[in-house]
Amino acid sequence: MAIDNGKSKGVLVDLTRCIGCRGCQVACKSWNERSVKPTVMYGNFTNPPKLNSECYTNIRYVEWETDKGPVWQFVKSQCMHCKDPACASACPASALIKTPEGPVTYYYERCLGCRYCMMACPFHIPKYEWEKTVFPFPWVRKCTFCADRQADGKTPACIKVCPTNVMFFGPLDDVKQEAEKRLKENPGKYVNHIYGKNEAGGTAWMYISAVPFAQLGFETDIPDKPHPDYTWSMLREIPYKVAGLVVGLSLIAAFRNRGSSEPDSDTTHGKEKKP
Amino acid sequence: MTNHWIDFKNADVILVMGSNPASNHPISMKWVMRAKEKGAKLIVVDPRFTQTASKADLYAPMRSGTDIAFLGGMVKYIIDNNLIFKDYVVNYTNAPFLVNPDFKGPGELNGLFSGYDEKARKYDKKTWSYQMGEDGIPKKDPTLKNPHCVFQLLKKHYSRYTLDKVSSITGTPKDKLEDVYKLYGSTGKPNKAGTELYAMGWTQHTVGTQNIRTMAVIQLLLGNMGIAGGGINALRGESNVQGSTDQGLLFHLLPGYNATPSASINDLNAYIEKFTPKTKDPKSVNWLSNRAKYITSYLKAIYGANATKENDFGYSFLPKIDDGMNASWLMLFDKMHKGQFEGFFAWGQNPACSGANSNKTRAALAKLKWMVNVNLFDNETASFWKGPGMNPKDIQTEVFMLPCVSSIEKEGSLTNSSRLAQWRYKAVDHVGQSKPDADIMNDLFLKVRELYKKEGGKFPDPIMKLTWNYGKEVDIHKVAKEINGYYLEDVYDKKATPPKLLGKKGELCASFVHLQADGTTSCGNWLFSQSYTQKEGKVINMMARRGKDDPTGLGLYPGWAWCWPVNRKIIYNRASVDLNGNPWDPKRPLLKWDPNKEDPATKKPGVWVGDVPDGPAPPMAKDTGKYPFIMMSEGKGAIYGPGLNDGPFPEHYESLECPLEESLMSKQRINPTIKIFGEKEDAFYSCDMRYPYVATTYRVTEHWQTGVMTRHTPWLLEMQPQQFVEMSRELAAEKGIKNGDPVKVKSGRGEIMASAMVTARFKPFKIGGQTVHEVGMPWCFGWQYPVNGRQGDSSNLLTATVGDANTMIPESKAFMVNIEKA
Repeated sequence: MAIDNGKSKGVLVDLTRCIGCRGCQVACKSWNERSVKPTVMYGNFTNPPKLNSECYTNIRYVEWETDKGPVWQFVKSQCMHCKDPACASACPASALIKTPEGPVTYYYERCLGCRYCMMACPFHIPKYEWEKTVFPFPWVRKCTFCADRQADGKTPACIKVCPTNVMFFGPLDDVKQEAEKRLKENPGKYVNHIYGKNEAGGTAWMYISAVPFAQLGFETDIPDKPHPDYTWSMLREIPYKVAGLVVGLSLIAAFRNRGSSEPDSDTTHGKEKKP
Repeated sequence: MTNHWIDFKNADVILVMGSNPASNHPISMKWVMRAKEKGAKLIVVDPRFTQTASKADLYAPMRSGTDIAFLGGMVKYIIDNNLIFKDYVVNYTNAPFLVNPDFKGPGELNGLFSGYDEKARKYDKKTWSYQMGEDGIPKKDPTLKNPHCVFQLLKKHYSRYTLDKVSSITGTPKDKLEDVYKLYGSTGKPNKAGTELYAMGWTQHTVGTQNIRTMAVIQLLLGNMGIAGGGINALRGESNVQGSTDQGLLFHLLPGYNATPSASINDLNAYIEKFTPKTKDPKSVNWLSNRAKYITSYLKAIYGANATKENDFGYSFLPKIDDGMNASWLMLFDKMHKGQFEGFFAWGQNPACSGANSNKTRAALAKLKWMVNVNLFDNETASFWKGPGMNPKDIQTEVFMLPCVSSIEKEGSLTNSSRLAQWRYKAVDHVGQSKPDADIMNDLFLKVRELYKKEGGKFPDPIMKLTWNYGKEVDIHKVAKEINGYYLEDVYDKKATPPKLLGKKGELCASFVHLQADGTTSCGNWLFSQSYTQKEGKVINMMARRGKDDPTGLGLYPGWAWCWPVNRKIIYNRASVDLNGNPWDPKRPLLKWDPNKEDPATKKPGVWVGDVPDGPAPPMAKDTGKYPFIMMSEGKGAIYGPGLNDGPFPEHYESLECPLEESLMSKQRINPTIKIFGEKEDAFYSCDMRYPYVATTYRVTEHWQTGVMTRHTPWLLEMQPQQFVEMSRELAAEKGIKNGDPVKVKSGRGEIMASAMVTARFKPFKIGGQTVHEVGMPWCFGWQYPVNGRQGDSSNLLTATVGDANTMIPESKAFMVNIEKA
């Protein structure tokens, strides 16, 4: 279920400030003691090209030409820590939970390895440890929002290390307010949209940008309705429907067995009754 | 840097040219972005649209090697449009000085200045002199109208740098040139500040020094020197390279930028005579007139009690270089290549990848009898003998690898681009048998001294009489204190009545102001005097301070660590005030003369408040007032600079390898004073259709220098795994190359493999009416590690053996290549 007490933490990523230094990418690796996967120079600085089980955040280097000259933008990508996460809803084992503090946290002890979370996430964030089989058990990996650092009163590693204050960290209400303030006070500087304010029902990590989000590789056809709501309308009926079925079918059975102390003959196992 | 990192936030306009801070000094972008938040404008001029350019308000493309043309056009624009800060130029620079009427410039002599000796490839500077008055002071015209005054000569010289000419040379569209000139020129107002950030993009050219000089001229014309948010700011490429040049690691310097003596300067008096500038102008401080104090104190530091008045303070023990000898990098490896070296310490460096023309360097290493490589990891230099193209059977070089520790495994100071020396502590213990460099040096020296003691030698004194008492394991604090200096006796200021005690015997010096020429003080490096000092008996490591107060609000933070000289943050800050000591811009009060406040030193009214003033003397207008440029003998900023080898005004010359047969500026294609190396390996190919594309090199955020440390760091290698070459879409289309394709980059000296990065951030240039393509690549890769298909080798296999006319720094930023699909 969605958590929106306004006090759970969020982050505003102001893409106009990112210089593409990747201090965040390294800080995350360092704090989470991640390893590496082999990479090649394929013609773009974005490496690894996609998030993976050893890389919880990366910078996407996006460039194109305009009539005013080239544009080069740097986009930080990581788990959005949705208010009503699809991954948490899809997980049959409650291994992903939206915590009241803000982070969507993974409990490896509960995980079955079914990977429904990977299919459910509209931002394609959770990654799987494909190279592991049973011992050790493969985990699902993603940004933790440095829940452990936050519990200790610290700032998440990527935010702490950023030299140009790309990320504004604080309670969700403050984050939303800051985003709105920047848009209002700088007419023409930003595209008039706060990405993550409403997408997928709202996310804890939000973005503002000088250029259209579609051009930066953001998923832009994510509906505002939280993903869990789509199945919730049906899922929430299940107890009632199951209970209803149990009750209904029992009543039918009882009706059919009325006036007889024995069960129906055609359902008798064993010896036949003499007519 | 004349200013400091945090000061960038005080600028109105920031010009980034010859550097790429977003990629290579990302933390500094914090201050650039702060400036932008306050409304400052960022201009980036670069052959390539870089990460810094992505944040610029104005980006102008420019062909590598044409910075002087670009900036020369700006000088003309500033003069033509009357944007100069008149009061500043007239009073604080040598613009009014009258020059020898026989002086002629490139406009009259087809690219040369008067006095050129073609055979020797150098200038006789007789005609570059000033006209001297009878008082021994250069004659001046404060109206700036005299045709022989510096200002008029400057105007005449740059009148040739028209928009058409500049655009044709640089490839920058004319409207872009004007946009840049107008925006930057707007900082000529007294209440505006413009700063410039440069790095190797300016220095690594045959005209490197003059690139920077052109900006110095502009900054002086606009009154941007010595003010908050102004200055000429070198972004140094290593966390402690400022420290290394401060401590005299270059062949031609002793610590504190005193000159290394040459053999014919055969006593201390001759040294002092030669290197002490003189002036007859009573208003010029001419700070280097104190040279004798610094060299004598240095000799006392290194030879201790063995340096006495009777033996010239041990001057004869000091190593000298042969007259006229140039032992800079390119010369060293040239001699090594000719078999003239037995041994070589490649200490904390990787010459097999970092030096221009790396194939020549690698071949040179094979001629050595022995080499010691002190480093953290194996690298292309230590393992040169098993590199590509090498046959170990043919190589007799014995290689010793000494593992050393990184900066986090030891204690000591690092001096950054802001001249700020910050003390650091040991964070982790060393690995295996690795040692701090100081301990390796200590062990080596003690062993050498032991051998000299046992076996004698040709001239044991310099070894035996050298002060060397840092302990068996080096106590780095002892070194720091020796650098700061001591009072060797009770030292008095004899000019005061009664004589005032400056310092007690055995105590650490308060600053270089107290150093003496009579042997009563010692000081390892006069610039660092005050860095580890003693106040009222208490020893203070100034570099370890971490005070966070900022009283002026300009980001000076005077209590955080310590910078030289004497914690002055902005050099030449006396130019930030008018002749009466009031800040030109009251909103940026870097310095202000308070006539009523008591000076704690003299107990009299009248003292400077703000930054540490460039000398305590009162403002220039007062009788005892002084000129602001205290390190210049005449006390004024040098718009005219006759001290350099290749001319008193910067002139555009093409790089040694360029796409043009002739320079579009004059008949003189290349810098007429650069050394031309003549071996087969040094061959260069200019305007040669085999190598039709301009190439440049640069760095990336993820790797550092030749990548010895960073290629061995998996997190960094993952982000930036392989050598690449950036090229325009147009060039890629011409060669049938697609983004990511493997390509071969070839020059007249070598070839490397790279992945193609096809991008709109490089565009073809129109040079002299022709299309010229430029490509760029990082120089952080090498064959030694990692070994995987396309890891590539160093870009320096391609660069040429040629260096700047004044510093000999190799011209790695402009050369010619060819590219083929591999």
